[in-house]
Amino acid sequence: MTRYLIRRLNLFLATSLVLFAVLFIVTNQFPVEQGFALTGILSPSAQQIAQINADFNLNSDSFDQFIAYLHQRLSGDLGISATSQRPVAEELASVLPASFELASVAATLAIALGLPLGVLASLSRHKITQHTIMAITLTGYSIPVFWLGLTLSLWFGVQLGWLPISGRLNLLYEIEPITGLILIDTLMSHSPYSVSAFIDAILHLILPAITLAVLPFTVVVRITRSTMITIMDQTYIKAAEARGLHTYRIVLRHALPNALIPVIKSLGLMLGAFVSYAMIVEVIFSWPGVGNWLVSGIYQRDYTVIQGGVLAVALSIIFLSIMIEVLHTAINPLSRKELYDSN
Amino acid sequence: MTQIKIYQGGEIPSLTRKIWHTFADNPFALAGLWAVVALLLLAVFGPLIAPYSAEYQDPRALLLAPSWDAAGTVEHFLGTDDLGRDIFSRLLHGAHLTFGVALAIVLTSLVIGFIIGSISGMMKGLKASILSHLLDALLSIPSLLMAILVVAVMGPGLDNVFWAVGIALTPQFVRATHQAIHEELQKEYVKAAKLDGANMIQIFWYVVMPNVWDTIIIQTTLGISAAILDIAALGFLNLGAQAPSPEWGAMVSQGVDNILTAPWTVTIPGGAILCSVLAINLVGDGLRSALSPINN
Repeated sequence: MTRYLIRRLNLFLATSLVLFAVLFIVTNQFPVEQGFALTGILSPSAQQIAQINADFNLNSDSFDQFIAYLHQRLSGDLGISATSQRPVAEELASVLPASFELASVAATLAIALGLPLGVLASLSRHKITQHTIMAITLTGYSIPVFWLGLTLSLWFGVQLGWLPISGRLNLLYEIEPITGLILIDTLMSHSPYSVSAFIDAILHLILPAITLAVLPFTVVVRITRSTMITIMDQTYIKAAEARGLHTYRIVLRHALPNALIPVIKSLGLMLGAFVSYAMIVEVIFSWPGVGNWLVSGIYQRDYTVIQGGVLAVALSIIFLSIMIEVLHTAINPLSRKELYDSN
Repeated sequence: MTQIKIYQGGEIPSLTRKIWHTFADNPFALAGLWAVVALLLLAVFGPLIAPYSAEYQDPRALLLAPSWDAAGTVEHFLGTDDLGRDIFSRLLHGAHLTFGVALAIVLTSLVIGFIIGSISGMMKGLKASILSHLLDALLSIPSLLMAILVVAVMGPGLDNVFWAVGIALTPQFVRATHQAIHEELQKEYVKAAKLDGANMIQIFWYVVMPNVWDTIIIQTTLGISAAILDIAALGFLNLGAQAPSPEWGAMVSQGVDNILTAPWTVTIPGGAILCSVLAINLVGDGLRSALSPINN
């Protein structure tokens, strides 16, 4: 297992290095002056130019430049944003928690609803129930997320007026950010209206979270259903039935743990699409997260913001997908067998 | 005199025929196939049957409701947008932008991904792992981020969407091909062919590939639906097809300004995207269950 973990760590480092190289090459292709693309300082003084040249080794060959670039980026210097004139790392720290909150709520929602529904769909012998569930999931899988978001906000936000459709919190509440997660911050704040602010935050979260949850939900339902159908035919399930166990117990104790393995694998494969969807959802619902920030960065051609955002999002995807793979191996003894094979 | 049929037996259908029968047994998959064929025809002949040109503005019919509404007329079947452009004609003109470009992207990345994937799949050890892991890094950059990088370098436009979505899709084909070939190579029948003295290319083409095609076909249908959604999403974010273009995602984004007064300017192009992706996913689902060895 240790050898496996070291190999995964290696993979993480190598992939990150490739990512940095891609970003470095792309940065040099930006249609602006190199110093501006790297630091975001629009009209640097002579002293600043000398500083940039020294920091990024701009006068030597491109390999040395890459090493200097890597050194600067890894020491936390992402330059300053050309539009807000604030350091990109600082802005990133303020938008990342919001995205993280939205994504984790949506993912929890999708798994918590998707797993039971997938199991129910697999156990049902009723043709109509099966077809209905499959039709709903296939539609959910095919729906363009921006259209879904617009339609939901038009119905529930504008026509029915039930839910707010933009931002994380009503402007009336002034909550001091502590963790950056609005649900925790509102509860932790000492103001007398913290409970009503918490409810308001939940109301703001409902529509974006549901919109984002549709894709993972449908994938989880479909994978759970197909694996459960395969597993329920296995002999060890028959053995459990022959021992007279209750169906409830068979499903929960014997079938579901094995059905989870492909679900986890598919979650890892879906990560890229999920992040793309999250960015679009953030734009539609004006959620102050990294996607919204990055898209406004591209509208303003704010090159340091683009680099910082792409770097942060891609690094977190690499990290999460490797974590999911490790989890997949940890709970699945069969995949561990391959580790010690020749390859 | 009745003929005795014992020795004649039924004709044994070929594999392709068997797959087709399983596929055609599923009415949803067949409906999806018809819809995809219709879409293909529309992508080619759509501009010919459209009643108006994509940019024609009718100043007397601004924000006209669709024809089934009391306020609508049948001249503008699906209504008009805020510049008086006929939505039905724009949908027909946009079919080849959304659907056709998606097909072109998927075909290109399929060919490139297939070649890289088969080379890395047939190789062993370090070289194979470098090739496949190098692409893992690209796989971790989702299409939207890739598009943002491409737009930052080359500026927005539908041609650049081609590159962005293509670069994001290729690693998926590489990975699918690589894994399928890698898995097949470890099976016994490949070893038997090796013992028979088959060389690398023979093993690849005649032994392994017949068992890999179905994975690639399924991956292709998945790729097409993902490409349509990506193109539309980029059009919606104004990073892909630009404003007067009748690309479906761009049409949704042009309709957003009027969503409160004229919701059909958003609903109809969005519904068109939904239907085409749904049709492709139905075909993909049908193919998957027809090709999977359990059913055969």
